Amino acid sequence: MARTHRWFTPWVLIAPALAWLVVFSVWPSINTLRLSFTDAKPLGGDVGWVGARNYTDLIHDGQVWSALVNSVVYMVICLPLLTVLPLLLAVLVEPRRPGIAFFRTAYYVPVIASAVVVGLIWTWLLDDRGLINNVAGALHILQHPLPFLTDRWLVVFSAISLTVWKGLGYYMVVYLAALGNVRRDLHEAAAMDGAGAVRRFFSVTVPGVRGTMFLVAILVSVSALRVFSELFILTGGKGGPGGEDTSLVMLIQQYAGGFFGDLGYASALSVLLFVVTLVPMLVLARLNSRREP
Amino acid sequence: MKTLRYTLLVLVLLITVGPFLWELSTSLKGAGEDIYTSTPQLIPHQPTLGNYVRVAEAVPVWRYIGNSLIVAALTVGGNVVFATLAGYAIARLRFRGRRVVLGLFLSTLVLPGEVTIISQFVTVRDMGLADSLLGVALPGMVAALNVLLLYNAFRMLPDDVDQAAVVDGANAWQRLTRVALPAVRGTLAVVAIFAFIGAWDDFLWPLIVITTPEKYTLTVGLRYLSGTFAQDQRMIAAGTMIAFIPIAVIFSVLQRYFFKGVEEGGVKG
Amino acid sequence: MRIRNAAVAALATMALGLAGCGGSGDESKSDRVTGTVTLQTWALTPKFTEYLNQLISGFEAEYPGTKVQLLDQPGDGYADKVLSQAASNTLPDVINLPPDFALPLARQGLLKDVSKGSGVDLKSTYVAGGLSAYRYSELGSAVYGYPWYLNTDLDYWNTKQFQDCGLDPAKPPATTDELFVQAATMHAKCPDSFLMSRKPDATDFTRAGIPILSDDGKKFVFNTDQAAALVDRYRDAYQKGLLPSSVLNSDYQGNSKLFTQGKVAWTTGGATGLSDFQKDNPSLKGNVAVTGALDTPPLYVQGVSVSAKSRHLATATALAEWVTDADNQNKFGHLVNIFPSTSASASDPYFAKDDGSAEAHARVLAFNELKTAKALAPYELNSDMQTVLDQQIALALKGSATSRQALDDAVAKLNQMLSRQK
Repeated sequence: MARTHRWFTPWVLIAPALAWLVVFSVWPSINTLRLSFTDAKPLGGDVGWVGARNYTDLIHDGQVWSALVNSVVYMVICLPLLTVLPLLLAVLVEPRRPGIAFFRTAYYVPVIASAVVVGLIWTWLLDDRGLINNVAGALHILQHPLPFLTDRWLVVFSAISLTVWKGLGYYMVVYLAALGNVRRDLHEAAAMDGAGAVRRFFSVTVPGVRGTMFLVAILVSVSALRVFSELFILTGGKGGPGGEDTSLVMLIQQYAGGFFGDLGYASALSVLLFVVTLVPMLVLARLNSRREP
Repeated sequence: MKTLRYTLLVLVLLITVGPFLWELSTSLKGAGEDIYTSTPQLIPHQPTLGNYVRVAEAVPVWRYIGNSLIVAALTVGGNVVFATLAGYAIARLRFRGRRVVLGLFLSTLVLPGEVTIISQFVTVRDMGLADSLLGVALPGMVAALNVLLLYNAFRMLPDDVDQAAVVDGANAWQRLTRVALPAVRGTLAVVAIFAFIGAWDDFLWPLIVITTPEKYTLTVGLRYLSGTFAQDQRMIAAGTMIAFIPIAVIFSVLQRYFFKGVEEGGVKG
Repeated sequence: MRIRNAAVAALATMALGLAGCGGSGDESKSDRVTGTVTLQTWALTPKFTEYLNQLISGFEAEYPGTKVQLLDQPGDGYADKVLSQAASNTLPDVINLPPDFALPLARQGLLKDVSKGSGVDLKSTYVAGGLSAYRYSELGSAVYGYPWYLNTDLDYWNTKQFQDCGLDPAKPPATTDELFVQAATMHAKCPDSFLMSRKPDATDFTRAGIPILSDDGKKFVFNTDQAAALVDRYRDAYQKGLLPSSVLNSDYQGNSKLFTQGKVAWTTGGATGLSDFQKDNPSLKGNVAVTGALDTPPLYVQGVSVSAKSRHLATATALAEWVTDADNQNKFGHLVNIFPSTSASASDPYFAKDDGSAEAHARVLAFNELKTAKALAPYELNSDMQTVLDQQIALALKGSATSRQALDDAVAKLNQMLSRQK
């Protein structure tokens, strides 16, 4: 491309956003890295260097391993579901139809529903005597109620369904904006060629929003690895029997929060979380850039 | 086809709005009616709007709404303006270091913010903004996610439009405002919605920044309804509904912009 | 009215008598009680706005030249709020802090030791249990807060479920042993109803006489055979279906929620509990029996502390004493079922008079119970540690670990957490 702007123009445009991120995000994170080698406490006091102690403790912490395994399972299941389902939902509510604005808004409701109420309703659904177990029992699908809220793995799967439930509306919105950019003439040409709705979805819609799909995939995997509220809600903040149904963010919150926090250990956990989330992001970013011209 | 579409629409609707309906129904229940039943009762037997009136009497709802709107306006403004500028520069202007900048924005997405809240507060206090609404809004005024959303939107514009404008002698600013911006209105709406809701729903940060009760935002102020010895679930539900209304309004107003510019097109079902 | 005046008079005499021998309180002697101070309370407005305003204007009238700014904070997130204030040097002058919040602040030297330079004699003014809540073994004889209001737990029983399930609502369990027996009876008759809905925690160990912490406060020691047997007993009950499975996840408020829903027939709760349950579910009205706590009743203390860095230390101290004085506390106790921490309040007939209403009955029960109530878990056992203990006990109830193993694991983890604290 020919020279279209002066050298400093992009920097002027980027400067405010960059400054913000450095002050409110990058700098505190560097601070977190520093704290991870100390025994800092939330209330200050003497801070001592402890070398890699927090990191060696972390390797021997059984809960950290449970959390890591949960996170990976979480991501592997959420990634395909939340990359595809919201796109289908967006296609469903995209065209102008009577009352469609109502549906679009309603689907967004789970994103903003209060955690307390979500917890109340979902526990009512998933409890031993909850709706799902009662219905399954009445239909003789189940002999004994499934312990959705107390079994090591069922809790994780219950939390995943909650995440998908919340994520549908959120990513639907991202897709809706992208669908607006899909060229209308391509659809018409494909329709003219006799392509049905399904064919057009794969041959026109998907290629048109591919960039957005990668972005959504990145967001989904990052937030799956950072799951917090779903597990917190379903286990009453306890992380399940034995604390196995926990996540890295739950552990970070537990250690960083409150008067008795262990900021050093929480910081080491944060660094671990950063490294873990970086992996899928790099993979996806690489896949994405490969198709760039 | 039409029936199928609406059947699907209603099906998804049933899954998504459950908690909302429960909250709505609790807020309308009279004092003589049980709230916690083993099977949630959705239809209030003694419907009343009294709980809403009592919320307005108990806490200065309008003042809190005003505070929240100020914070939300600053947050939306900051994100729309600064994320647009940055997103456009990274997507449409070639310059040395562009990939590094993009990588930086991407990696901010995964920086763990959980342990930084106190150090952020110290920063805001050092700026002299403790106990102020600007201090509440400030850290959220640019979010990496929004920069990336706009970067993604700008990148999808066809190159030839831009080149035509270059030939016409348009500079970068003119190309941004006249050519690119109108084409990404949908994404701008999404950014505005995300920023608004983020600011509106945030609880912990405003709680920490603000100390004077009159300056609290709505989300924090409504927590006064669940005070010591003074829990009233009906009022709490009414408060939640009050907080929900502005979000619903913003969303339904902005969602129509998702398709502006290509309105007549779209996928035909 | 006469009582109130008498209390004021007694207090004034006490203050005067003490002013002469003011101990080592140089700052309060040299500083005048004047200037603007902030008072931070925890989730008391809007319900008690009027009371607080009267309290403040009374203080401002008593000490001309002072002004008090009230900063009432919402209930949720109070620990985070205070933590950020402490970490950023912006603590209000006078702060409502429960003892477990005051401890870490006191460790960092952020709170004033009110045993020195007070205008009142702490020992004769406040009840011993309240005062000792703000005195920590690791910090010597210093006192880091004035006790404010007290509360304890009562037992609430759903009489309808008692009747339906073969139990006598007039004779609910009085001890933990009876609780297990009656729970089995109820389960036999109504398999879908539960009497018990909480798993054992540190307070149950204390009730059974098992020490939680070593005498020097450095180690947790509750992993004994006796404690394992206690957990075993709950595990057997859980396996037999005497407790709902949600106890594995529930917090300490879990059983009151289940009680309100009518899913369980027993819960513990403060003396204000009854009105809360009935407000949420009016159908409970007339179906709830109230009795004293099983075995040893717990003692809950709220207090006000003075920031060590206050610019008007004398004024802040005077305000903290004003807030917690017998007269002002009695007035507060007349508004809601909580109990003054001042010795003089014992003679206030209001708390001992049962006028026949359910509310008054609960109040009198709780008031009498406070005479024997004790803090049932050491304040060193913080909420994070309680979570760890909870997780291990849930594991034992489920049968995934033996009770002994679960307790050993919990103690090991807790000791590690304790050693990491400074």
